[in-house]
Formats: sequence, C-alpha cells, structure tokens
Amino acid sequence: MRRIAVYLCRCFGEIDQIIDLNDIRVRLAGNSRVRSSAVVDSLCCADTIKQTALQIGKTDADQVLIAACSLISRGNRVIRTLEEEGIRSSSIHLVDIREGCAWIHGDDAAGATEKAYRLVDMGLALLEHKRPSDNVVVTVRREALIIGAGPAGMAAAVSLAERDIHVHLIERGSEPGGMPMLFSRVYPGNEDPSIKLKPYREAIETNRNIAFYPRSKLVSVVGYVGDFKVCFVSNKNEYHIRPGVIIAATGARVFLPDGLYRYGELKNVITQMELETRFKKGTAETDNTVFIQCVGARCAERPYCSTICCPSAIKNALRISERNEDAHVVVLHRDVMTPGSTLENYYRTAMERGIRFIRFTEDTPPVIIGEDRVEAVDVYDVVTGLTRRINADLAVLSTPLIPGMDSHHLADMLGIQVDRYGFFREMYPMHPVETRMDGVFICGSARWPVSSDQAVMQGEAAAIKALAVLRSGKISASSFSPVPGGKFGHPNVNADSCTGCGNCMAVCPFDAIRLQRIDGKYFCISRVNKMRCKACGNCVSVCPNGTMQMPEHNYLSVCGMIERAFGQ
Amino acid sequence: MTNDEIRGMTLEKNKARQPKILVFACKWCGLIGADGAGRKKLELPVDFRVIPVECAGFVEPDAIIRALASGIDGVVVMGCHIGGCRFNNANHQAIKRLELLKELLDATGIGKERLMISFGTAHEDHQFADIIKDYFRKISGSIRLEPWVESYVPKR
Repeated sequence: MRRIAVYLCRCFGEIDQIIDLNDIRVRLAGNSRVRSSAVVDSLCCADTIKQTALQIGKTDADQVLIAACSLISRGNRVIRTLEEEGIRSSSIHLVDIREGCAWIHGDDAAGATEKAYRLVDMGLALLEHKRPSDNVVVTVRREALIIGAGPAGMAAAVSLAERDIHVHLIERGSEPGGMPMLFSRVYPGNEDPSIKLKPYREAIETNRNIAFYPRSKLVSVVGYVGDFKVCFVSNKNEYHIRPGVIIAATGARVFLPDGLYRYGELKNVITQMELETRFKKGTAETDNTVFIQCVGARCAERPYCSTICCPSAIKNALRISERNEDAHVVVLHRDVMTPGSTLENYYRTAMERGIRFIRFTEDTPPVIIGEDRVEAVDVYDVVTGLTRRINADLAVLSTPLIPGMDSHHLADMLGIQVDRYGFFREMYPMHPVETRMDGVFICGSARWPVSSDQAVMQGEAAAIKALAVLRSGKISASSFSPVPGGKFGHPNVNADSCTGCGNCMAVCPFDAIRLQRIDGKYFCISRVNKMRCKACGNCVSVCPNGTMQMPEHNYLSVCGMIERAFGQ
Repeated sequence: MTNDEIRGMTLEKNKARQPKILVFACKWCGLIGADGAGRKKLELPVDFRVIPVECAGFVEPDAIIRALASGIDGVVVMGCHIGGCRFNNANHQAIKRLELLKELLDATGIGKERLMISFGTAHEDHQFADIIKDYFRKISGSIRLEPWVESYVPKR
C-alpha cells in the first residue's frame, strides 16, 4: 500500500479564509493511505519548502500530495525545489485548491471546503496508481544535415562548421548559392549576390567540416533527435548518414502567372525573375516600363503577402531609371510593402527619382493593351478615380514566392507541419526556427518568403538552436516531455495483451509508434520510440483493450479520479 | 403515466441536487483558462471538477462514458483550437473521436448534451467561466443521472 504524506498550504490565509483546512485534515485521517497530513503557511517560501522536504525525508511516506496553488502560478516551482531537495518528482502530485477552488468559490465556504476535500481525494486516487515511466538517454551525434544550399542553408552550414560540427550539406542543384545566384543584384544594398555570398561559397569549398553533396535528393528520414538515420542520393550514389539534427532550408519557388495579364501570350510581358536574368545577361531594355504588383498574390487563392516583391520591384525600377533617365517607370501597386528603414528609404528614393506609384484595387486590375506586343496599360487609379493609360514597352509582373513542389512530401518525411499554403510551420511564433519535431529546424524561404539577408539571419539562428542540442552531449527523453507537476511520461505497451491492431500507430502525431515483429508471436506488437514521443496520449485513448497506458496517469487513476470526484 | 407526470417527476428529481460536471482541460488551453478564472476570482458554481490532461487527445471515450455511468451529469472536454495543438494534429484526432462519441450518446438515449466539446474557446479566464456557467444552465434542464455501474477501481 502506498504511504502518502499530505501537505495543505494556507497561502497566508488566501486559501484558509475560505476553505477549512483542518476539516480536510480530520476527514483525511480516516484514510489509511495517508500517513501524515500537515497545514503549512506558505509552501513557496524557500525556508518552508526545505523544512517540508526534511519532514518528508523523516517520515516513511513514499509519495507526497501537495494541495496549494496551480501549477502555472507557483506549483511548478514548488515541485522543482522539492526535486532539488532529493524527492523524486514522479512521486509528487500537486492539487490546485487556490485558483481552482478557493478563489472561484469565495461566496460558498462550505461548498468550497467540500470541493477541496474531493480534489485532494482525487489526487490521492491518482497517486495510488501512479508509476514513474522509464527514461531513455541517448548520446547526441555531433553531425548535422542541412537540406538546401541557399543563403539560409549556407549560413547555417558555415556557422556550425566553424564550431566544430561535421555538416552534411545537400543541394538539388549543382553548386551552392540558391535562388539569389539567378539575380543580378539583391536588396538591400544593391549588391551582386555572387560577391555577397562569396565568403560562404569559399568556406563550403575549404572548410573540412563541410561535406557538400550536389545534385542530391532526400530518400528517407527515420530516427529521433540526436540520432537520425538519413538516406539520400547524390550524383547517383547512395549515402547513409546519422546526423544529430536536421536543418531544412529548402527555399521556395517563383509563381508563374500563366494566363494572368496575358503572360505567355505577349512577348514583352515578363516576370520579375525574367527581368533579373535579363539584367544579369545584360540584355535588359531600359525603356518605358510598367511594374504590376501582387500578380497572383493577396488573392482568394493565395491571400498572403510575399513580402519580397515590392522591394525587388522598387530596386529594379530604380535601376532602370538610373540607366535611362528618360524612361517612364511606373509601379502599379495595391499597397507598397517596404517595412524597415532601409526598404522605406528605397521607396522614398524611388519617389524622388520620379518613379510613379499608382494604386489599383483587386476588383479593377490593370488591363494590358496591345496586339502582338505591349503598347500601353490601362489602370483605374483609385486615388483620383480616373482611368489612366500608360505607354509601356515592357510590363513586368511581380509574382509571389510559393512553396517548393515537394514541400508536403518533405514535411511528411521530417515529421513537421506545413501551413495551408505549404510553407513549413514553426513551433510557435516565439520559436521561429524550431519545429514541433525535436531536432528538426527550419529557416529561410521554406518557412516564409524572406529576402536573402533575412535568410542568412534565420540560417544562423537555426544553427545556434541546433548547436544547443548538439553541444548537450546526452539527451534524455524526459527532457523533451518533462514529467514533473502532473505531466505524463511515455506510454508503455503491455506486450502480453497487445493485439497489433495498429490504431496507435495511425493516430500518433509524431510517428513515434511502429509495429514490430517479435519472437514467439504470429503478429506484430506496437513499440513506442520514447525519444520521438511527446506524451500527448492519443495512442492511449484509441487503444481498444487498454494495452497502451501512461504510467503516470493510467486508466485506473482516471477511473479512480472520476469515481471520487463527487464522493460515493 | 402521461408526459406531464413524467416531466413533473423529472423536475422533482432535479430539485434534489445540483448537476455535477466533470471537466477534462487540456494543459495548454483549458487549464490556462481555468487558472486565469481563478486569478480573476470569477464566481463559479461549486459542482464541477477539473481533471488536467496533457492534451485533449488523451481523453478516452471510455472514461467519459464511465463518468456518466458513475453519476456525473455532464462532461466537458476542452482543447486547443484546430491547428493550434502543441502535438501537431492530436486535437484534430480528438475532436473526430469525441464528435462520434456524441452521436453514440445520442443514439443510446443518454443524450448528446451530456458531452460538451470546446476547442479553442476556453483559453481565457472569462471564456472559461462563461463556458462553465452556460453548461451548468444547459445541463440543469436534463434529468439527473444515477450511478449505474460498479466501481472499476479494485479496492485494496
């Protein structure tokens, strides 16, 4: 039988003035499992908590129930401090009687006391069947896989390699550089991308820690943080590596506006990307040019703003007007999106230079006029309410970035999520390069359209987050889904009763469960990968015969809590 | 017995006690709402109990039926909004399972109002309090349940 010590916190009267703690103590005395119960002034004070830990050590109790404030306010700290004092956190359970009882039932003292007793009783029911779940510790392999050698991937690779991590950098193309290498200039700073990215490209060639695999394709990813098993093909050779972390920097592609603004039909309706290549080749005509923004972006199909098209259109407009001062350059926009001081300066310079900005709306898009080539563009100017005809020799369509063709497939392989457009999704907005899959990081345009300087920034951020994992040496499964404070451990499979139905494997959001053949049985049974598991408990609730159980919070505990919730 | 007589008996029975409600609150949404309601000291009816769970996906349909069978009048499951789950699509799986359970409860005559599913609506203090109060109001009209199963937990 479990021996439980109960501590009821007064919280300096906050709980005491509504709930009669002594009444609860008297009622608990009838429970044979409760070895001792005490009322303390305030458990969150450092002194009190040390005294309490000493007291617990002196009694023969093997489990502790604390009735105090909620986990979010002070409870977590109380449990952590008790753990530091040498009491296993898996043997502690915290019941919230302040936020969850005293403070919300201030007008009903008798009812609140009854409820507090029931809550404590539910806690005792949970402790009765609680078992600590077993922990797994793995050694982190000091290797990293970086998918994509664009600005983000290169920056991540170089900063990891400089810190003595062996980096495998795989790239679909034949050389590192990514999309900026197709451009003649990149904003901000109007620099030549081959010069701007030269340090990274040189480092990839010279640094011994970086292995660069051109023309490669990812085949499979299995494993867990610290020890992924990755297979990929490069130059028709198959490679098997075991990196500790994976950074996905696969970038994005440019949307082709087929059928929009007579693109493909007229020869001199081109995309921003084609203008860039013309600049690079030196074949760009610098005549009267009309830029049309938001082509295929901010519409019903793609309601997002791609963020890079306005600055790059302004950059190219400036370039044309610099080359040919007589050229009329007009930017037709829906809103000019140039955030930050540098890009705003671009916009102001462009206006000073005489580039005209005309605003249209989604309902009245500009119309291209011309028989076999663009002669003019008709646009309804919403500011003046007039339809204007602008003579043009060239119409440039600014199209948004869209996720790569295989982003869904890649996300499935890596076990991460994509948003509704297909970009990789971060863990939360406050964790921009981490994903919900431990050990997999994202950066660059694969997670959202970014300019090359921001991609570099994100690549370095991802490298630092990855470095924190790589440098930690050993990772335990519980450090990713911590047990203290009523959190669950990892599900256990009862090998005798598992029928191998595969329900748990189908619902697991992290692909942590596999069916495994074992000797002496004619069917497979499920096995939980404790490193991938985050203890959500989905597998537990679909298990048809209760084979899958969380030791910390098993079915018996839940039933016990339900049965004692309102008394017999 | 006429329908009116049955209704009269029901009301008589309902007067005997307040409805009992069990709340399974996901730690990352519902429980934060419950905590916030406590901090704001919002007055709530006494007869509800919160069982914190890691994710709404952990709530077994079996446990919900057992709760109703042991005399609890209504069960609320609170989770994060769809697409905002910490565990990828775990709450999406949960909502599918629980909606199916609702249909089963209705088909068996227990009534679908016994189970309330609230995803992404209880992560703030006032929202949590409103959900609890509304559900108390809603469930007061239904007949009080009596325990109809034996205890599952072995006595030691």
